[in-house]
Amino acid sequence: MSYATEIRGPLVLGNKKLSQVSDDIIAPVGARPGKWWYAGMFIASLMLVYGTYALYITFTVGIGSWNVNNSVGWGWEIINFVWWIGIGHAGTAFSIFLLLLRQTWRTSINRAAEAMTVAAVLCAALFPLIHMGRPWLFFFIAPYPNTRGPLWVNYNSPLFWDFMAISAYLLISASFWYLGMIPDFATIRDKATTKVKKAVYSLLSFGWTGSSREWMRYEATGFVLGGIAAVLVVSVHSIVSTDFASSVIPGWHTTLFPPYFVVGAIFSGFAMVMTLMILIRNIYKLHDYVTDRHLDAIARILVFISLIMGTAYLTELFMAWYSGNEYEGFLIFKNRVTGKFAFEFWAMFICNAIIPQLFWSKRIRRNLTLAFIISLIINLGMWYERFNIIVTSLSRSYLPSTWVSYHPTFIEVGIYLGTIGLFTTAVLLFFRYIPMIAIHEVKSVLKHNETEHGMIEPNTGEQ
Amino acid sequence: MKTSKKAIIGVFGSEDSLMDALCRLLAENLEPAEIYTPYPVHAALRALKRRSRLSWAAWFYGFFGGIAVLAFLYYTAVIDWPLNYGGKPFNAFPSFITITLVLIILIVTILTLLTFSVRAKIYPFKKAEIIDERVTDDKFIIVFDADKVNRDQLYASLKEAEAEEIIEK
Repeated sequence: MSYATEIRGPLVLGNKKLSQVSDDIIAPVGARPGKWWYAGMFIASLMLVYGTYALYITFTVGIGSWNVNNSVGWGWEIINFVWWIGIGHAGTAFSIFLLLLRQTWRTSINRAAEAMTVAAVLCAALFPLIHMGRPWLFFFIAPYPNTRGPLWVNYNSPLFWDFMAISAYLLISASFWYLGMIPDFATIRDKATTKVKKAVYSLLSFGWTGSSREWMRYEATGFVLGGIAAVLVVSVHSIVSTDFASSVIPGWHTTLFPPYFVVGAIFSGFAMVMTLMILIRNIYKLHDYVTDRHLDAIARILVFISLIMGTAYLTELFMAWYSGNEYEGFLIFKNRVTGKFAFEFWAMFICNAIIPQLFWSKRIRRNLTLAFIISLIINLGMWYERFNIIVTSLSRSYLPSTWVSYHPTFIEVGIYLGTIGLFTTAVLLFFRYIPMIAIHEVKSVLKHNETEHGMIEPNTGEQ
Repeated sequence: MKTSKKAIIGVFGSEDSLMDALCRLLAENLEPAEIYTPYPVHAALRALKRRSRLSWAAWFYGFFGGIAVLAFLYYTAVIDWPLNYGGKPFNAFPSFITITLVLIILIVTILTLLTFSVRAKIYPFKKAEIIDERVTDDKFIIVFDADKVNRDQLYASLKEAEAEEIIEK
């Protein structure tokens, strides 16, 4: 049984008919985009070229082309890995938790969130790969019968868990996303006016007809994948955090890390969902589908998660003092709150724990320009958080003789910009060739409008 | 009314009119061969007693997958090539749990998708057998096997249920 409240208002505005929903959402698919699209693609391509060059140097010269060293063994690459995987969390988290909780307002947003997840996880997966030094031997991490013994992998290592978890997460996110698109591809196929479009979307729709037997199994599969991916969402980032927490480096060796990482990941991902949804809504004039209330709901979630983040940061400070551990105290109070890395610490704290509190104000939640800027600020803050965790801890460890500075090289910056280019390219292709909103799911919630808000026969083809 | 056509199709414009018609037709013992809708209509699935056993299949995949993973870990870490990691027991069971969980998820995902593909007959390069193109847009369709129903009774019932169109294919 589903439950909808009057408080939330209609999920789709404009008293839409079913066919209008199809037409509105399909209209941009395959249509010639505006100049902004080509400009965006051009900039993304430049970033990709720079990234490809940086990767080429990394592969041919080796990790010596980066500035990581004996002390700061993890640099921008791991910062960016954690940043991307964090962003990649929200898509599936958003879709799956709200699916399992039967939240119907997810329907306008889940597709974009899932697409973003797949793109972000692809970007994230690149970093551990190139960090191996000899990326062409990456398959050594998989447990398979080999000629080296057979020497099996260490099943107690979080790095191995990480490899398996991210592979599983990529597979499940991509499957969940694609599964959701099959009925929509069939809609495009059946409404296509050109032969090429019909052929392409026929191929993509896997023979979907919309029969009750298909729908029954489709929904069952969605719930099974959703249920197990919900566990995966929590475990992937917990595992990423144990990459750090299972070591004995000050600032890392803490049981706070798994929940802190999971919440942080969902925080950055939701912020990215907000960024994308504001863009989609304004560029494609989809105000009736992505309503003020949708963005308002995301902003409310952000303000709540921001409070958790603030609490986590304060807990770190408290535990550094309360534990009486001089190394923790030195790291946190002399190297984060004050000292060499104070700027990065306060940037993180202000961006993640203070600025999102502005969303308490309804006026700011409804001002999309401000909401857009805040969503970008959150992702900047989350980048600083990972910088804080990785660089401050490694560059100021136990022995002063091992203390070093760390700045990225031209190559490291290139790889990061390259992944931003890859992400942007993927998102722009998504804007152009894939329905940005789940058509069949939006249709299924039109009924709520009718029953909850007294709209008479809004979902019929006939009036 | 003699014809070689196989299916009689009632076309409806909304979920409500589909449900009204479906309840009326089922009450008259006119069992549809299939219904086609633009989105899942749960009431219709219940009325037609369509229930998927996919979640049971997934449970079994998870259960046996979990046993298989633990057996594999035990074989490789204890029997085939035991390695001493800081004095931990070879069968470091508690720390095997994380990877077991992740691999169970991987196994369940892959096998559930395959099961869905096989059972629902949704797979790459499949050519869709489209009954009516409008069904993925805004129409709700009830299909009857012409050989298994009383044609005149069905026509009368569909008209009474206010079908927008009645088509034979």
